[in-house]
Amino acid sequence: MEDRRLRIARSSIVNFQSSRETMHWRRVIITLAIILPLIGLLAYGFSRDPRYINTPLIGRQAPPFTLTLFDGKKISLDDLRGKAVFLNFWASWCPPCRAEARDLEVAWQQLKDTDAVFLGIDIQDTEKDALAFIREFNVTYPNGRDAAGKIAVDYGVWGIPESFFIDPQGRITYKHVGGIGSQIVTAKLEEAGRGVVTAKEGKGTYQSIR
Amino acid sequence: MIFFLLSPQVALSAQTGDLELQARSIAAELRCVVCQNLSVADSPSEVAQQMRGIIREQLQAGKTREEIKAYFVSKYGEWVLLSPSPKGFSLLVWVLPFVAVIAGILFVVFVVRRWAQKNNRAQPPKVDPALIERVQRDVATAGASDFELEEGDVPSPLLQERTRLYANLKELEFDYQARKLSEADYRDLRSSLETQAAVVLRELELSARSPSGAQAVAAKKRPAPEKEAAKVNRASRPGWQLAAGGVFLLLFGITLGVLLTRSLRPRASEQDSVTGDFLTGTGPGGVGDRSRTMETGMGAASAKDIPALLAQGRAAYERQEWAKAIEAFKKTLSVDSNHPEAHTYMGLILAQAGHADGALLAFDRALAANPEFPLALWGKGMLLYRGKEDFTGAQQTLQKLVNLMPPGTEKTEVEKTLTELDSLKGKGKQPVKKVEASPTASQPQQINGVVSIDPKLKEKINNRAVLFIIVRSGNTSAGPPLAVKKIDQPSFPLNYSISPQDVMTPGVSLSGEVFISARLDQDGNAVTREPGNLEGEYRKNPVKVGAQKVDIVLNRVM
Repeated sequence: MEDRRLRIARSSIVNFQSSRETMHWRRVIITLAIILPLIGLLAYGFSRDPRYINTPLIGRQAPPFTLTLFDGKKISLDDLRGKAVFLNFWASWCPPCRAEARDLEVAWQQLKDTDAVFLGIDIQDTEKDALAFIREFNVTYPNGRDAAGKIAVDYGVWGIPESFFIDPQGRITYKHVGGIGSQIVTAKLEEAGRGVVTAKEGKGTYQSIR
Repeated sequence: MIFFLLSPQVALSAQTGDLELQARSIAAELRCVVCQNLSVADSPSEVAQQMRGIIREQLQAGKTREEIKAYFVSKYGEWVLLSPSPKGFSLLVWVLPFVAVIAGILFVVFVVRRWAQKNNRAQPPKVDPALIERVQRDVATAGASDFELEEGDVPSPLLQERTRLYANLKELEFDYQARKLSEADYRDLRSSLETQAAVVLRELELSARSPSGAQAVAAKKRPAPEKEAAKVNRASRPGWQLAAGGVFLLLFGITLGVLLTRSLRPRASEQDSVTGDFLTGTGPGGVGDRSRTMETGMGAASAKDIPALLAQGRAAYERQEWAKAIEAFKKTLSVDSNHPEAHTYMGLILAQAGHADGALLAFDRALAANPEFPLALWGKGMLLYRGKEDFTGAQQTLQKLVNLMPPGTEKTEVEKTLTELDSLKGKGKQPVKKVEASPTASQPQQINGVVSIDPKLKEKINNRAVLFIIVRSGNTSAGPPLAVKKIDQPSFPLNYSISPQDVMTPGVSLSGEVFISARLDQDGNAVTREPGNLEGEYRKNPVKVGAQKVDIVLNRVM
């Protein structure tokens, strides 16, 4: 009987030796299981631009607005039903807006005889500066100033230039934050004309609004 | 009557006040879209203002708080809510902190218990070593048959226990000899068994003294000491360990709290980062904006920084950016309150600003630290001469300077001033202006010329560049400048003219031989000496004041 007890004690020692190794491995695995998700979470957090706001508007009906143009005329989004609309939010103090201005005008010159409509909305700006901007870049498509910033908030604008593409049914098909090239404008307007929605936003150099 | 008059107004203001309050409380739950950690209520940005206006408007239109929040969520997404709704991925934000706290507590409990167990194990019950020796002797001498229990004989439980332990020890010895056990395990097991046996032996001795209650005593007593020992261990050891852990946690928390509050500060503007210079090493201007760090001067300087600070100060002084120069020299003085050069420059700046008394004090401080500091002697002498018209004092100071100076153009300049002083002393106090006027009449105190850029470097200039034309007395490119001309947004080739107005220390004449150089600072920021600055000097330096066509070509990139 005593003999058996000792056997048990001894076998437990042998077990202990081998279990020490498995314990070691188990500890490593547990540590990794805790740390790796945390590192993953951290990496995810760091890889994201905390200022970037993904819009919930793509695929939805474009918020309606009426804009007073710099020449005094009024234009309403509802009037533009049946046409593909390129809507561009800008400000004269924003460098990326200056950078893209010529490209936009080039695209307008290519498309002005088609069914497409370009519309520029100047935000957080003075009329004088805005007009100087339009003159400087020889912008010929219609532009107006959103003095109260209500249209901008309606479109969730946060970093300009911001461009929205609206299909003939008045639905937002694509959004591009930051400077945009004339080729993308042409391509996306063509898609908007066909009602093709691109859920992923385009990105360029942008400037936070004020 | 008064009530009647006031009541409608009171009601009106209460109504608008209520609306304002409501709008504010809604705005406080929305995140400002251009700043990361401010609410729409707190943000000074234009868009936040506009958003507050929209909230007010919608409230007036009779919308509820939830409807207004839903409006902003429909425009900017969940992002706009400062406290995200506990759904989907955002649920993690709500749950994770609690999970982490619980996990932390469990971990601490686990670790503390392990400590406690380890300490229990590490402390075997204390037994008389003599008893252990007896056990060892018994085991060594006894044969295997000694441990057989005789039939029919019912021994006391203690004896049974002793027999069992002895048998186990014997067996253990045998196994060890047969190399079935490792050395360490054998030792552990043996000492544990020996200790147990020793305890049993002690019990046996005790029961032998009072044979009547031997069994009862043994049965009662045996587990008792162990239990008590365990109790003592559990109570005392983890007790102080817990206390130490608690104190450590408290200190850790306090340190963290202090560090965090020191490192965070309210934003000055939207472009600012929230973390201040304490953690990131940057000033309120955020990463890369060194000049603003300098201006606010929050970063503590150390002795290592003195040469750099002095260089910054000198550069700023040359560029006539007094505030920056003062900042740099003040910082130097905060590290080394007796730094003669910093005191001297402070004196020069003060003299420049017309504070003769303060300047004199600064020069005296510099000279107290180093009575033979030439620049301070020169500054003090000139100040006494021109500013205070204390010709005797000026002469003494400048004489001391001349005695220290190596021969050269600078020395002759000072000597000339000394003879000037000599003649003035004879005449007594006299308006200095006359003295100044005389050289102007004979030779114009001006230097004229053209600054141009080496054609190879033309493309290296930008429109923010600032041109500095620097005049130093004598024939060196080092030392404090006599006069500096600053030209913003220069266009080349540039005609320049340096006149007594550009002299840095008032009253000092622009005369004699001077060394002329020019520097084009690319960003116009005097503090940073960034590579890319262009430099050049007049080819036939030194030049006599009054010379024409002192043309400078910027032909070097720093």
